Amino acid sequence: MSISRHAITRGFAALTAVALALGVAACGSDSTAESGGATSADTTAGETSSSGSSTDQAGGTVELTVYSGQHEDFAQALADGFTAATGIAVTLRSGGDAELSNQIIEEGDHSPADLFLSEEPGPVAALDAKGLTSPVKDATLAEVDSRLVPSTKGWLPYAARSRVIFYNPDLISEGDLPHSIMDLVDPTWAGKFAYAPSGAFTSTVAYLIDTIGEDATLAWLKGIKANGVNEQKNGKVRDSVEAGQHPFGLSNHYYWYILAKQSGGADKLASKVHFFDHDDAGGLLLTSGAAVLKSSQHQDEAQQFLQWLGSADGGQKVVAEGDAAQFPVAPGVNSATPGLPALADLHFPVVDPTVYADTEAAQALIIKAGIA
Amino acid sequence: MTVTRRRAPRLITVAALIVAAASLAPVGYLLLREGFSLRRLIDALNSPSTPELVGATALLVLTVAAVCLLLGVGLAVLVTRTTLPAPRLWIVLFTMPLAVPGFVAAYTWVAASYRYVPSSTAIFGLPGSTLVLSLNLFPYVFLPCVAALRGVDAAQEEVSRGLGHSALRTFFTVTLPQLRVAIAGGMLIVVLHVLAEFGALQLLNYSTLTTAIMQRVLVLGSPESGRALAVVLIGGAALLLLIERIARGRRTPARIGRGVTRVPQRWRLGRGGTVGWLLGCAATAALALGVPAYIAVVALVDSLGGSGRTVDWARLGPAAWNTLQLSLFAGLVATVVALPISWLYSRHPGPIATATERAVWLVHALPGVVLALALVYIGVRAFRPLYQTPLMLVAAYVILFLPLAVANQHVGLRAAGRQLDEAAHALGYGRLRVFVRVTLPIALPGVAAGALFVMLDSAKELTTTLLLIPTGMSTLSTGLWATTNGEVLDFTAAAPYGVALIAVGVLPAYLLARRTVQLADHRR
Repeated sequence: MSISRHAITRGFAALTAVALALGVAACGSDSTAESGGATSADTTAGETSSSGSSTDQAGGTVELTVYSGQHEDFAQALADGFTAATGIAVTLRSGGDAELSNQIIEEGDHSPADLFLSEEPGPVAALDAKGLTSPVKDATLAEVDSRLVPSTKGWLPYAARSRVIFYNPDLISEGDLPHSIMDLVDPTWAGKFAYAPSGAFTSTVAYLIDTIGEDATLAWLKGIKANGVNEQKNGKVRDSVEAGQHPFGLSNHYYWYILAKQSGGADKLASKVHFFDHDDAGGLLLTSGAAVLKSSQHQDEAQQFLQWLGSADGGQKVVAEGDAAQFPVAPGVNSATPGLPALADLHFPVVDPTVYADTEAAQALIIKAGIA
Repeated sequence: MTVTRRRAPRLITVAALIVAAASLAPVGYLLLREGFSLRRLIDALNSPSTPELVGATALLVLTVAAVCLLLGVGLAVLVTRTTLPAPRLWIVLFTMPLAVPGFVAAYTWVAASYRYVPSSTAIFGLPGSTLVLSLNLFPYVFLPCVAALRGVDAAQEEVSRGLGHSALRTFFTVTLPQLRVAIAGGMLIVVLHVLAEFGALQLLNYSTLTTAIMQRVLVLGSPESGRALAVVLIGGAALLLLIERIARGRRTPARIGRGVTRVPQRWRLGRGGTVGWLLGCAATAALALGVPAYIAVVALVDSLGGSGRTVDWARLGPAAWNTLQLSLFAGLVATVVALPISWLYSRHPGPIATATERAVWLVHALPGVVLALALVYIGVRAFRPLYQTPLMLVAAYVILFLPLAVANQHVGLRAAGRQLDEAAHALGYGRLRVFVRVTLPIALPGVAAGALFVMLDSAKELTTTLLLIPTGMSTLSTGLWATTNGEVLDFTAAAPYGVALIAVGVLPAYLLARRTVQLADHRR
């Protein structure tokens, strides 16, 4: 009896010793973290007492903190590109779009974020609508496709994704695909397609509310819930269609192009991508947006980030050449992703992106329809 | 013995109350946050989703609870009370699922289905979710049952058999009732885990209150409606705590002295039975451990072979180091702050003791996202310097997993019976000296087990970590999630993190299994 007790006691003592050793090590790393925190607290204090030139207080090096709802690798590539071009360091905090925009709202004036990079237009447009973003310089906005710029000028579109259908030709031919996503409520489509209540789905609902009204949108959502399979995530829509679990699914174009690239070419995939290529809600072009936060202590450097992000030889080049397979939005810059159509050749509904700001109405309907 | 001696020292009572209050702060946040009103709550809940989600959640809780009850109790009886060969090996194997985070287990099952039966959807939905969660959670019932079964006095069963009752009837009327506390406690942990599970269920396409809350907060960006659902979830958790309290019963089994406990006779399985049950045990272990381990290894090989993306060792190393540090700290801090509560609960039972103990359990049922949002809110306003530091994350782990420390300390403190305290008191020892010299040494294995559970669960935690982790830092679980964001069915990119996460969990899980074996052995 006593042997076993001693054994566990000794084990615990050993663990405690390890923990204490780690503790000493961690104190070292903690103090670095704390000094970082202290720096931002200092600048906050400096700002409240004497606004402005508080940045060189810590020795002149400015570091931008970027909250990003964008896919992490893509956001990191953008951050690295900016640092390489300007020498300004960037710390990235990656997470969900809505999660981080909500966190910015929760953090209020104390938010450590200087910039927000969204994946979807909704969250960044909502921050803009709440008055939390600084206006983007006209010169920066002039760099990108004017059809995509919000009328409020509170954020910069820097990349775009098209809503598409992924389909599995073994199970359905391209000619048999629905002409419009509005058709999907018809019982003939029951059990035939997958969808995901993603940010892009919310944007689609916001767009529908704006164009056909709440009642018709709710009826459509209920039909989608009844007929479709909720795969939770756009990536899972792609994988499940590729695997032959569903004939087709609603998703964003780049998931398929990324998989094609990873697999060694589009011909290696069982599934194919279908663009609506007309003014249908199923073929919306949704932009990712970047905004400078009003609460940022580094307004100049943050605006510099936006300027770089929108420029053809800066951020747009990263968008065009990167692995993310998204559409660059500066005219004349075309994606290097094989098979991806040029934005100029694609037909999609043109709409002021501020319609996506009312995410609340869209959420309410999605919940009301029982989808989330 | 005087009445004053029985009353809890004020310092301990105050400390326990403070800890309980700090644990409850997130629940308070749900109700007291500005902008919250009963009217908004009712509005937010008035949707067809609400009853649907409540129903789906209840259904999953029931199916997982039923399977875990069968597996946990059945396997415990098999390894402790039958002639099944190699019982210690099986105890270790049936503890090991604790080393596999739920979302990793689910991910590997989904990946296995995608790899080998691509067009099948059988793994998704209720059956798949029940299978994966049950295989992951049954050790929480199995372990306490093994310990309790080995502690049951043979004499009582022999009396029952002597009175002419069958072995089966004896098991149900004499043995099983003595497992009530162990079963109730284990089942409570299982169902609370089911209530709080997010990552696994999202991968398995099963919607519960928690996945809906996460969906609303993370994707829809509608935290207000998420919080409304969280209120329902907390109500459900409170109900479960009450049920456990009743199921456990008020009485503790009568025991006169402890020197006479003997090991009961083991049921003979016979040759055919032995082979059959061995196959059953092997199948359970293969499903619970083999599938995750096999897929993790196969995907790791693919990943090392350059398929998908290359392994980013420069990120994996620091992530593993961060996970180790954070979980060790969480374990130690939780151990210290749990002591007043477990002490009060085991030594000075009463309304305050019960209330503080239940309070920390209630928080355990909170989905990580609610706790995280609450801590962001409270952190930014009240503890500004701590916000987005590792300390905040440790605080979250401590609040989330405190009940595991309390429960295990309670077992340890009960082992160090209060009679011993009183005897030492009578010999003139002061309170502190009694605690340090008498109680703590005997209770230490229980205290250590509590710390291990907290470390293990902290290392596996995903949801809260995603929200509270300091900018630029990553752990194994956030690193894994970042490789795919739960978007893809293929495990290749996630494999290095998955393997590292399982590896981190193996040692504490093994120590817990060993402790159970030893606990059982020293009662012989």
